[in-house]
Amino acid sequence: MTFARVARDMKARQGVNANEIARRAYLYVSRNQALPPSVRYQAQLQLNSFGRYTRPSTVKNRCTVSGKGRGIISEFGLSRYQFRLKALAGELPGVHKASW
Amino acid sequence: MATVTPSRLAALQRLRCHVFQTSYNPNGIRTGAKYLRKNLVGPAMINYYPQDFSIHALRKLVPGWDAPLLEEQQRLADVQDRKNRGKGAPKKAKSKAESRRAGKRR
Repeated sequence: MTFARVARDMKARQGVNANEIARRAYLYVSRNQALPPSVRYQAQLQLNSFGRYTRPSTVKNRCTVSGKGRGIISEFGLSRYQFRLKALAGELPGVHKASW
Repeated sequence: MATVTPSRLAALQRLRCHVFQTSYNPNGIRTGAKYLRKNLVGPAMINYYPQDFSIHALRKLVPGWDAPLLEEQQRLADVQDRKNRGKGAPKKAKSKAESRRAGKRR
């Protein structure tokens, strides 16, 4: 795959996976109202210091064939056009064109 | 019928939490437990895109192994062909005056 946006998304996925446990720990400390405010504040500062591509919300499910970001049918990970092409070619088991 | 005081109810709740091993949190203070309870999403995220088996990807995996890149060879051949026909890119300008279009047109 040579799509730049897919490459960026893969980078984000790697970052999220690598930093997830540390981020969760800081989130736990930061959101815990039973802890002293100074400790929670420090944890929040640490959270803010993480890079952009460590947040799960930066990850976007893109089309695995064409790299498109919109109109993704999440069950197949395909954009609607790629889904149509594959479905018509019979490459998606159990999917067939409606007719009544 | 005897009325049940709030303190008795609280004691009952505390005992209930002790018996069923749940945390006693009468004021509903946020403990952040939900961030620990939630499943990790990273491992699933990594596997979203299928593995790339192109020659480019394989070359990156094995450093020092120069497998032939057909597209790159074709590009270089095309560039050479264009040069042979005198249609290659012009020489890089050495001075500022050379790079000016007006100067070249003279």
